[in-house]
Amino acid sequence: MGASRGPRLSGMQKQVLSLYRGFLRAARAKSAEDRQQIESLVSSEFRRNAKEVDRKNFLYIEYLLRRARKQLDQLRSPDIVGLSALNVSFSQTKHPTN
Amino acid sequence: MAAISGASSISLRSSPPRSHQNLALSRTNGLRSISLSDHGRNSLSFGLQQRSVHLSVSCAAKPETVEKVCTIVRKQLALPDDSAVTGESKFAALGADSLDTVEIVMGLEEEFGISVEEDSAQSIATVQDAADLIEKLIEKNKA
Repeated sequence: MGASRGPRLSGMQKQVLSLYRGFLRAARAKSAEDRQQIESLVSSEFRRNAKEVDRKNFLYIEYLLRRARKQLDQLRSPDIVGLSALNVSFSQTKHPTN
Repeated sequence: MAAISGASSISLRSSPPRSHQNLALSRTNGLRSISLSDHGRNSLSFGLQQRSVHLSVSCAAKPETVEKVCTIVRKQLALPDDSAVTGESKFAALGADSLDTVEIVMGLEEEFGISVEEDSAQSIATVQDAADLIEKLIEKNKA
């Protein structure tokens, strides 16, 4: 990743970075408290996916990109004040057997 | 000599026995400048467009801008205040990934009240690159 003139990025990586930038920009328009919350949430989400998602899993990455674009569109609206995350644990759920 | 930022550069080198001349043609952001240097002792450069003269001046960012960028980079990467961050420091070498780099650029935007375009934001690799770009943008805002 370390070329002397900036890292060489794939088209998909550029899209991700562009989205990340978009989210941080959108967060600027919110109140200081909400902004902080949005930033930490967005940052952890991007970092988590960067770490956990297989870089070859294009289908899933495409899905995440689409989802993020929709979320960003919503976040850009002045009516939206903040973001929140829901932590659902799947450890207890049993797959139905039929 | 004038710095060439990214774009294509062609350099021709002809070396006759007596006058060792170095001719470099560079094209930067649509501006053209030609510089000739003889034995590296004296160099003369002239621009085909008037503005390119200023271009060579604005290439080296002021030390205080570089220092300010270093401070922001330290803050953004949560590095200790006494850590060695200089103009030559590469973001990647400081432990920044591409997401960190985006954050740094966003932080710089706010600090300096500028707006960095996406294309240029991705070509920044060192603190010096960032400082140069900032000065260029501030200059553009003034004009």
